[in-house]
Amino acid sequence: MLRAARPDNIYTNRGDEYTMVSTKTAKLVTLPLALALVLSACGGNNDGGSNGAGASASGGEASQPAGSGGASSSPAKEVSFTIGYATGDPATKQAIADSIKAFTEANPTIKIKDISEGTTSSYLDWLKTKDAVGEFPDLVEMRDTEVFAEAGKIVELPSELRDLFKTLPAVDGKIYNAPLTLNAPQGIIYSKKAYEEAGITELPKTYDEFLAAQEKLKASGITPIVVGGKDIFHMGFWLNKFLIDEVYASDPDWNSKRTAKQVSFTDANVVQAMTDYKELFSKYVDKGWLSTADNQTASILVAGKAAQLFSGPWMFTQIQQADPSFEFGFYALPDREGKRSVIGLPSPAGWSLSSEAAKNADKAAAIESFIRFFFSKDQYAKYLTTVNGIPSTKEEISYQTTEQMQTVLELMNDETVAKSLAINNWWGENQIPPQFRNWYYKLMQELVVKDGDVAEYMKKADEEYDTEVAANQQ
Amino acid sequence: MAMPYVSEEKKALSASVAKRRRKWQSYALLFILPSFILYALFVIVPTASSAYLSFTSWDGVSSDIRYIGFANFEEIWHSERVHNALKNTLLITAALVVLENVVAIALAMLVDNVRWLRNLFRTVFYFPVLLSGIVMGFIWNIILNYNFGVLNQLLAKIGLESIAIDWLGDPNYAMISIILSTVWKSAGYYMVIYLAGLQSIPADLSEAAAIDGANRWQQFRHVTLPLLAGAMTVCSVLSMIGSLKIFDQIAVMTDGGPGFATETLTYIIYKVGFSEMRQGFGTAMALVLFLLILIITVIQVKVLRKREVQL
Repeated sequence: MLRAARPDNIYTNRGDEYTMVSTKTAKLVTLPLALALVLSACGGNNDGGSNGAGASASGGEASQPAGSGGASSSPAKEVSFTIGYATGDPATKQAIADSIKAFTEANPTIKIKDISEGTTSSYLDWLKTKDAVGEFPDLVEMRDTEVFAEAGKIVELPSELRDLFKTLPAVDGKIYNAPLTLNAPQGIIYSKKAYEEAGITELPKTYDEFLAAQEKLKASGITPIVVGGKDIFHMGFWLNKFLIDEVYASDPDWNSKRTAKQVSFTDANVVQAMTDYKELFSKYVDKGWLSTADNQTASILVAGKAAQLFSGPWMFTQIQQADPSFEFGFYALPDREGKRSVIGLPSPAGWSLSSEAAKNADKAAAIESFIRFFFSKDQYAKYLTTVNGIPSTKEEISYQTTEQMQTVLELMNDETVAKSLAINNWWGENQIPPQFRNWYYKLMQELVVKDGDVAEYMKKADEEYDTEVAANQQ
Repeated sequence: MAMPYVSEEKKALSASVAKRRRKWQSYALLFILPSFILYALFVIVPTASSAYLSFTSWDGVSSDIRYIGFANFEEIWHSERVHNALKNTLLITAALVVLENVVAIALAMLVDNVRWLRNLFRTVFYFPVLLSGIVMGFIWNIILNYNFGVLNQLLAKIGLESIAIDWLGDPNYAMISIILSTVWKSAGYYMVIYLAGLQSIPADLSEAAAIDGANRWQQFRHVTLPLLAGAMTVCSVLSMIGSLKIFDQIAVMTDGGPGFATETLTYIIYKVGFSEMRQGFGTAMALVLFLLILIITVIQVKVLRKREVQL
């Protein structure tokens, strides 16, 4: 298609013929180029969603006659399956790759094809693209369980694996995921040196004290907060902090009420949340926040260009790797009354088995043995240490934790700290239209850069939400 | 007065020529057949089938594809986001068609006239064309990043740190950065076409103009430029189509942001279709874009053709 868009013969024409040929060529290229454009815009989607052939072909060499038994029972038989997971966080990517390597070394007859890729797009985009080209992974890290379950792309978690885990949230009464970790609280990761130099001797106990601390940091000559706003998911860290404090902590069913039009984005609590967000971003955030990627935030923090980052424990490893001598702390950001609310409820996400893979008994057995291996005591401990994760298994896992990770675990165990979820992590009745999250985060970027009126922007959010709900009901 | 004998002979001759031509045409059709089949298979059929999807609410994953009539097109008509993307696309296209062609003509004139290092200049100017849009995007990301970017660091080195700009994060500059980096990438391609055009202009025309007293600018304006009109038609059509479907740079450099500041039609089609789970709506937009390109291109070719001068 690209070749069609670049007719190389155009500039090989010479002399007298040139004008005539070029005009004709221009006419000739018009239609194919316009058509090529349409294809380039929706390329790969013309199979009408029936990716069955492709998906089964991707693991074709593993297919066995029905009833031939599981791979584990006949170790000589070679089985292979594909695996796909989010690679945005380097520590997690490494930890999963290590688990795969350890597993295949221990099980030489099972081959795992890691088809995960680092892309500039979000994990959901990548997964959908893989699905569109018939390469949906056999074992997949699933984050949008409801959508893929409804589409019949994934199957329920085998019942014998369910006993491994503490809590397993169900979607429509069915359990699809083996959670890699529990949802971890997010909070302020701060440079101890910057706090000391700004004269902040005590961690803020209320949101107002936090704002006062920002003034002190600013006065000391350092940019208070670094934000990786180029990656749209990073916007969610801050936006959800305010939404949880003002909305979800007291009303976990707000999303379903919004869908039923019983509440609105223009309600005082949401407007307050977004006003706080706008004020913070206008005053205390690094000037380059919109072109800073999430994976650059650790460097900016350790280089002393900014004093704080709002993120989760997965960043601890990145920060330590960027500068092992960098001293940093972690705390949950309180609201105006001093109450702390964090992300920490379980949600349906984790390893899921694809429907195509489930049809092949050998493959399903191999995947099951991988999941058991992944969550086995020693292996899982290594994984948790690397990603600073919170264990999801019933079995007690002992692993090394840093001082910052201790704070995270204390928050999880502290009953006075309210646990909640981000706007897009609720499910069932509380699931928002899948397209709304990114749109809303972008709108909130615009709110800050255009210095918009919060109430006006919240009206836009209401309209878009209703349009999307209506579109999805069609 | 007609001469019957000659006329009959001519008639017989022309009948035989016509017969041969018809025969040849049927052979020619056979030659076209293989590429037509491939084209139909990979372009026409998929396009037609995607046209059907534009009347559905398909999410891109589910096996449930529901027909919803013209609802997608109605939404396109009313959607502020689509209007914004259309505005951005037209803005980028207008800027790119003008800038790419002006820069390409200037570069072509330069490499056509330099005596030394001619090949080096040609290679240097053409080199960015060889990069993919994604690679180009990453390069410019490194140059334009606010905190780590080469440009802002250079400004800091010469004491102008205070005017350091977030080139890709400030909505006022993000679009300009996208446009200029795209010109950098593609001007070399059009330069080659213009260079071929320049070299096909006989030197005696310029000499005659010089003898008649035309200065360098007048020679360029009244001799060179009209004779480049053919190349200009091709270049501006290609540049227009390339600009209307600009995607890679946006995806890598700004992700359509900040906010919605650099969202273009192709980008929104991809975003809506893939990450926002609305394949039907995305396909409807692709269809609208297809029609838009077709109309603009036909008009553009007609207008530009009038300007062409036949030698």
